[in-house]
Amino acid sequence: MSDKQRVSRRQFLNYTLTGVGGFMAAGMLAPMVRFAIDPVLQPAATGELKSVGLSVDDITNEPQRIDWKVDQVDGWYESEVQKSAWVYRTNDDEIVALSPICTHLGCTVDWGTEQEDEFYCPCHGGRYTKDGVNIPGTPPTAPLPVYDHKVENGMLYLGKAHSRGGGI
Amino acid sequence: MLLRKADVEQYVEAKEYIDTLVIPLIPFEPSKDADFITTSFQVELTHIFTRAIEKEYRGRIFLGPDYYYLKGSLDEEIARLNQWVEQFEKQSFQHIFLFTVDSKWKKVEKDVNANLLWVPGLKQADLQSTETQSFIQEQARQITELIQAYW
Repeated sequence: MSDKQRVSRRQFLNYTLTGVGGFMAAGMLAPMVRFAIDPVLQPAATGELKSVGLSVDDITNEPQRIDWKVDQVDGWYESEVQKSAWVYRTNDDEIVALSPICTHLGCTVDWGTEQEDEFYCPCHGGRYTKDGVNIPGTPPTAPLPVYDHKVENGMLYLGKAHSRGGGI
Repeated sequence: MLLRKADVEQYVEAKEYIDTLVIPLIPFEPSKDADFITTSFQVELTHIFTRAIEKEYRGRIFLGPDYYYLKGSLDEEIARLNQWVEQFEKQSFQHIFLFTVDSKWKKVEKDVNANLLWVPGLKQADLQSTETQSFIQEQARQITELIQAYW
């Protein structure tokens, strides 16, 4: 018994105090560190793209209307929101997805109903060219917003629509 | 546009563009179980229809407040409804539509001072099923086409 190294009262208290103090410090620091790096761990909300159930091979030079649903959270209220887009392929083989919401007062625009190769808003006669730019002299004051898009496994994914500012 | 602050503020600013009003006429009858169920279904159906119409042409159509009335007593409602229409006419609305799935309004159509849109609707249906949804969507599209014809 006497050969064994004995732990003195002072040492014992030192050890226990360091241990308990360490736990307390860790308990206080852990949430702080978590909060500090939290923005890095957030998934990028804007980058969320959703499959719209359209194969890229089906996209032609002619704009087609597609509808899909996304989950949206408004405060406490969670809902499924219906989204639509006009999708077509440009002459340079690029895919364009335009929002169908008229930038004037929010009606839904149609393709080629009034003038050929133009988007037309039936509410107040707003007109847009094929690339979604508003035609001067008609009510809208900005081009149609463009959706973020990507292609994965041959399917089209769409994300957020981006406004293109004041336009003409 | 809907009857909420943000939309009404936008309406007041852009009045000259919004000339169409839709008022949903919705019956209810809470005294009998069976009627209670069918009328509540009509409430849901009317809401789906009118929201779909509003969503498509929200830049020109204002969706007014729901007009609820007891299923049996239509005659008493006409004067009150006309009063609503009269007040709305003081705003920029030139085309006022009354949307309903209740066929009884068809008979008194000439007494109300607005265009009646009566849609046969459905007696009972599962509103979640895709068939019903596409049916309603198709009908809503035809109604908006009819409204467009007035513009």
